[in-house]
Amino acid sequence: MNRQQEYVLRTIEERDIRFVRLWFTDLMGTLKSVAVAPAELEQAFTEGIGIDGSVIEGFTRVYEADMIVQPDADTFQVLPWRDRTARMFCDINMPDGTPAATDSRNILRRTLDRAGEQGFTFYTHPEIEFYLFKEPYDRTLGPAPVDQAGYFDHVARGDGHDFRRGAIEMLEQMGISVEFSHHEGGPGQQEIDLRYADALSMADNIMTFRTVVREVALHEKAFATFMPKPLAQHPGSGMHTHVSLFEGDSNAFYEPGADYELSQTGRRFMAGVLMHSREICAVTNQWVNSYKRLWGGGEAPAHVCWGHNNRSALARVPMYSVGRGHSRRVEVRSIDAACNPYLTYALVLASGLRGIKEGYDLPPEAEDDVWVLTDAERRAMGIDPLPQSLGEAVAVMEGSELAAEVLGEQVFDFYLRNKWQEWGDYRSQVTQFELDRYLLHL
Amino acid sequence: MPPPDSTPAHAAADGRPRSGGRPGGERLGAARLARGGFQDSGRAGRLLEEVLGRLGSADDEPEADVAGLVADLGASADPDAALLLLVRLLDPRSTGADGRRCDEVTLPVVRAGGEPRRRLLSLLGGSVALGETLLRHPEHVRDVAEGLSPEPWSIVEAVRGQQGRTGMDALRVAYRCQLLRVATADLTSPEPVALLPAVGGALADLASAALEGALLLARAEVEDEDTCALTVVAMGKTGGRELNYISDVDVIFLAAPRSGAQESAALAVGGRLATAVMRICAESTAEGTLWQVDAALRPEGKHGPLVRSLDSHREYYQRWAKTWEFQALLKARVVAGDGDLGRRWLELVEPMVWEAAGRENFVDEVQSMRRRVEQHVRRDEVDRQIKLGPGGLRDIEFSVQLLQLVHGRADPALRSRTTLEALSALRDGGYVGREDAQALDEAYRLLRCLEHRVQLHRMKRTHLMPTGEADLRRLGRSLGERGDADRAVLQRWKGVRREVRRLHERLFYRPLLSAVARLSSDEARLSPEAARARLAALGFRDPAGAMRHLEALTEGVSRRATIQRHLLPVMLSWFADGADPDAGLLAFRRLSDALGTTHWYLGMLRDEGSAAQRLARVLSSSRYAVDLLIRSPETVALLGDEAELVAPDKDALVARMTAAATRQESAGEAFASVRSVRARELVRIVLGDLAAGWEGPLVRQALSDLTDAYLEGALGVATRRVLARRGEEAAAALLLVGMGRLGGREVGYASDADVMFVYDPLPEASSELAAEQAVEIVTELRKGLTGPGPDPVLELDAGLRPEGKAGPLVRSLEGYRSYYERWSAGWESQALLRARPVAGDAGLGEAFAEMVRPLRWPDGGIDDAAVREIRKLKARMEAERLPRGADPRTHLKLGMGGLSDVEWVAQLLQLQHAHDHPGLRTTSTIEALRAAGEAGLLSDQDQEPLVQAWCIASQLRDAGIVWRGRPVDSVPSDLRDAEGMSRVMRRGPGSGASLAQDWRRTARHAREVVERLLYGNRPPRTGAEGETPGRAAGSPSRTRPDAPSRDRRTDGFGRPRVASPPRDAGHFPPPRRDPFGRSPRGRRGEDGPGPAGP
Repeated sequence: MNRQQEYVLRTIEERDIRFVRLWFTDLMGTLKSVAVAPAELEQAFTEGIGIDGSVIEGFTRVYEADMIVQPDADTFQVLPWRDRTARMFCDINMPDGTPAATDSRNILRRTLDRAGEQGFTFYTHPEIEFYLFKEPYDRTLGPAPVDQAGYFDHVARGDGHDFRRGAIEMLEQMGISVEFSHHEGGPGQQEIDLRYADALSMADNIMTFRTVVREVALHEKAFATFMPKPLAQHPGSGMHTHVSLFEGDSNAFYEPGADYELSQTGRRFMAGVLMHSREICAVTNQWVNSYKRLWGGGEAPAHVCWGHNNRSALARVPMYSVGRGHSRRVEVRSIDAACNPYLTYALVLASGLRGIKEGYDLPPEAEDDVWVLTDAERRAMGIDPLPQSLGEAVAVMEGSELAAEVLGEQVFDFYLRNKWQEWGDYRSQVTQFELDRYLLHL
Repeated sequence: MPPPDSTPAHAAADGRPRSGGRPGGERLGAARLARGGFQDSGRAGRLLEEVLGRLGSADDEPEADVAGLVADLGASADPDAALLLLVRLLDPRSTGADGRRCDEVTLPVVRAGGEPRRRLLSLLGGSVALGETLLRHPEHVRDVAEGLSPEPWSIVEAVRGQQGRTGMDALRVAYRCQLLRVATADLTSPEPVALLPAVGGALADLASAALEGALLLARAEVEDEDTCALTVVAMGKTGGRELNYISDVDVIFLAAPRSGAQESAALAVGGRLATAVMRICAESTAEGTLWQVDAALRPEGKHGPLVRSLDSHREYYQRWAKTWEFQALLKARVVAGDGDLGRRWLELVEPMVWEAAGRENFVDEVQSMRRRVEQHVRRDEVDRQIKLGPGGLRDIEFSVQLLQLVHGRADPALRSRTTLEALSALRDGGYVGREDAQALDEAYRLLRCLEHRVQLHRMKRTHLMPTGEADLRRLGRSLGERGDADRAVLQRWKGVRREVRRLHERLFYRPLLSAVARLSSDEARLSPEAARARLAALGFRDPAGAMRHLEALTEGVSRRATIQRHLLPVMLSWFADGADPDAGLLAFRRLSDALGTTHWYLGMLRDEGSAAQRLARVLSSSRYAVDLLIRSPETVALLGDEAELVAPDKDALVARMTAAATRQESAGEAFASVRSVRARELVRIVLGDLAAGWEGPLVRQALSDLTDAYLEGALGVATRRVLARRGEEAAAALLLVGMGRLGGREVGYASDADVMFVYDPLPEASSELAAEQAVEIVTELRKGLTGPGPDPVLELDAGLRPEGKAGPLVRSLEGYRSYYERWSAGWESQALLRARPVAGDAGLGEAFAEMVRPLRWPDGGIDDAAVREIRKLKARMEAERLPRGADPRTHLKLGMGGLSDVEWVAQLLQLQHAHDHPGLRTTSTIEALRAAGEAGLLSDQDQEPLVQAWCIASQLRDAGIVWRGRPVDSVPSDLRDAEGMSRVMRRGPGSGASLAQDWRRTARHAREVVERLLYGNRPPRTGAEGETPGRAAGSPSRTRPDAPSRDRRTDGFGRPRVASPPRDAGHFPPPRRDPFGRSPRGRRGEDGPGPAGP
């Protein structure tokens, strides 16, 4: 029992906490929860709590169903929306105490450790977009946005406004700092940016964020969705993430005097992210619907290129103020709001590290809006498209040694099979599009 | 040395010709100087002349004093070097850093003679570097000559009130002065080995004082220094008060705000102070440098902040620290700065150090730490290392610390920071035997002395024995050797290395024996609790059981017990290095019970040589081998002679089998003797595999040859027996055709023998009689090979014969011919690719081979329809044959990229192209793939993954049975099994965890090739039910937490289960037993027919 664990037990006593939810995330990024009474917590810290891993997607094969969840006392938080309830994130172990191969958190931690061996710490800063629709949802009418405002609009008495204030307050109560928030381009679409943190804490934060946002929305008689593209005619919800590597206290991406003050390490990292973006796409954009966002135009990055202020590029070196070396970073724009943040950050980091290790050259900067270029122009410029569908993305990922290495062979295999399954299910649908277009004409 | 001529006064005093020819030259004769220890007596004579010249009128000098000078020089480690330095010190032009003439202080000492002169010359002969220090600082000559005791505190006094460069210089000068005092005491000691701990302590005190001095200087230059209390904790050798002459000084800095100061600001000041301390010690100034201060042992190592508060330390050590960090803390000692803060810190960490042995992964971490200690030596230095490597200083220190951690938890008497003190405490408590402790104590002292003297010479940080003769000679002489000092010192060192080589045995294992066996009653003994704690720390999972085995093995006064008492410590160390120490010890006990007092067994053990070590490795890594050895213990003898562990050729095996069989009268006995020959040969193979480094292909070859010979021998027995019983002449020629892995000469430990029985009536014999005899002989054969015996049962499986189980067991050649002509199916041709006559009539074998030739190597290759048929069959098999619950990614035989996958690719290529490429006409999978490569049918990029996957899968299956004694189908998810298999495969310790991952990768690469080559282009993915053997058990079952019960009506692929799969049972052998005939395994054909038909 260490100090932090003792602190948790004491707090539970002092604040009269009745339930502790143990949170963990399955491979698809779904948050799972087991509630324990405070009395069981001490045992949970020392021995963990046994769960039947087979009830959770991706966690286990039937005959090795027993798994142990071990709460991470550092992540203890009282849930503001729930009376006398707290939560902790958990690591998932095998009965023999080794980390489970299928634990997303472990996959990210392993990759961070590898970066650590090279002296790097990985920081991320996501801009999370999502839509608010009116509750209840009427299937026949489709989702109804809570407002009709646009980018950065201030909405008088806007529900979204109250909502954001409530959400931010609650996030801050849970120790998650919010940098920035505003109305996004679509009706009812919001964006909230989290203050940068190390990737593991951030992935935990993102999981918390999704829960908080949903809770607050329900409170406001609305529901929130992180679906990548809920409305065909409006922008999708991305999760652009600014990433940087630190060596000790100094930003390894920063080099005064270099182009955009981006160091060679930074350039190689970005080159790695670009080079491997196609093969990790099935993770950064893991749903059938993700590809509707990517290929829906606007600011969605469907092409593998980078630019300084180019909002159509996959990677961007954002505006910077000269001399503020600390904030030098690369923005990865392909990631969408419904990814598994643990796996996504692990793969983005590994791609970047590969770029550093192999000394990839950064391709030339793309200065134009890549959407307006013709295919031939793009080909001439060496700009590849991202996969057009989940099926294509999974096929590309199948050949990826990088993904196999980062995820581990077992998860790699599971993930591919799971995604083939989803793609198969999707293909077997007869869609509204088909009915509208063909039913009466063919 | 040029004659000094600058000072007339001097010249007057001298007033003699400079060179040679001086009266009384005899007293400096070459022979005398050589006897006195000089190497270059000519030069020594000239230099001595010069010294005598400096000393004043030679005529005033009585003869005896010259002799005294020569004797004093000769007493030093290196008289030539000492003399040379002396001449330089006496040179009136030599002046120190402050302008003072060296000769002014040196002359009186040399003139006066006696102890002071001897001290000076010993120092000069022992260390060129310190001699040069005297040239720079002649004021220290007095410290040396008078043999003053070191006064560490004077270093601090020397810098008090100083700052900047001058302060740093003063620090260095004062430190060197004290160092000279220590070195003088060390070099003039008649018993340097006895003095050693004191020298190490004195050096550590100097380092501590220098740190205190450096802290004073740091405070003089850092702003706001008064807001922060800083403490320097020494770690490592400084902490243990056993420092070297030249070494990094390991420290940890603690900081705390002084009253009223803010914590964060104070910590920042602390950081600056610590940085300054490190710089002040390490920087090179005009007075050189002290040493590097290394703060890497601090929390979080090099990535962590340089200073931390007490709370931050507490937090770190409670939550994050690894076992090795607590081991390092064992040495922690507060040496400079704020004592109170240091005390509070020690109170905080000390209890944690002694609880470290109770940590969860203590054993694993200690083992990997030990591996690091042992591995970390450069190959070219391994023979010269004093410090690193097995049996080096670090190994001794580490081992002592480990024992302290294990036993210090319960016994506070062991909590010393110093290696030698800890060793005596361990001795006094009975944790280490008295004699062993004594021997190690002496060895440690000598090794440290060697290290000191090597370093002293040039004040260089080195831990290597020198190689040059002159260097060795100096080293030997400095330790009191005379005469052949260079050779003598090497001999002493080697003697010590022999002592230390069995360090672990002495320190860890011997005392365990004393705990169970009453050897000498006067000595303190390890208590049973301590023995159990130690066994657990060494990796025994059932310490109580291990204690019982040890007791049983050593009790009594028999010769066996005596030998085992002697042998067990080293055996235990070998067991502990194996994958399953407990099993090793248990097996040893069982063997020992079985073999009792057999003369050769005891002899083999007594010699303790490689045979015992091989035995230990085999016993602790293989259930299979243990089972075999227990059944026929006398086969242990094979380990006694390395020449026995060579694979015999097949003819020799057949001869052995036949000879064994013909010696017996009854059929039962004849079969038994053939089987016991097989058992013995199996032992030879598994011992060769485990202890003689046989590679996978060699093992499979040997097992195949053995199976062939065994079948040949047994067939002979059956034939003779039947003919004798019937009283008839032979009417038929008989043939056993090997199929599957047997046909391919790819037999593994767990393989069954797939065979077909063929007969052909002899000319003029009636075909009815021939058939009758053949059936009877085959029946006799099958009966003879089953039943309990010393060897694992070899199952004969005839499931691949025409018509499968429904067809007759034995057919005539003509019967086969007509069947194949009329009925043969594609899968039969495929199976025949691996058909090879293995026993029986050679002529009939040739005829059979000729008969099946057009079937397996068809002219023009098989047509497209046949290829399609094969693909379909394979696809269906993938969907159906994998056992329930098995993961297609890890199943070694039927999984994706597994054996079957690779074999089908090879077979498809053979069926298509063997008519064209004779190389493809082989029954071996690997040969076929290689031949396809050479024929250009398979690119190198495609060939490699296939060959790799096949070889590794075969190896994994063999390793599985060797380790567990039972076959494994998949890479085990149990870490211990994986580790055991990994060791059998001679992967490094600790690599079991990655075994599954490695196999999955290999198999994935192979599968990619298989899909391309076997199925042509990638079949379209449907997602729902692709060519992936579907959603295996672990796949996305859509079950939710709210519906936890799994759907039990579906099989492993998500399809509804069927009571029995619709297939012709004939092609699937019944559930087989494991090779030891223990229990039915209820699986489908394992090593059975490669391509079994639907």
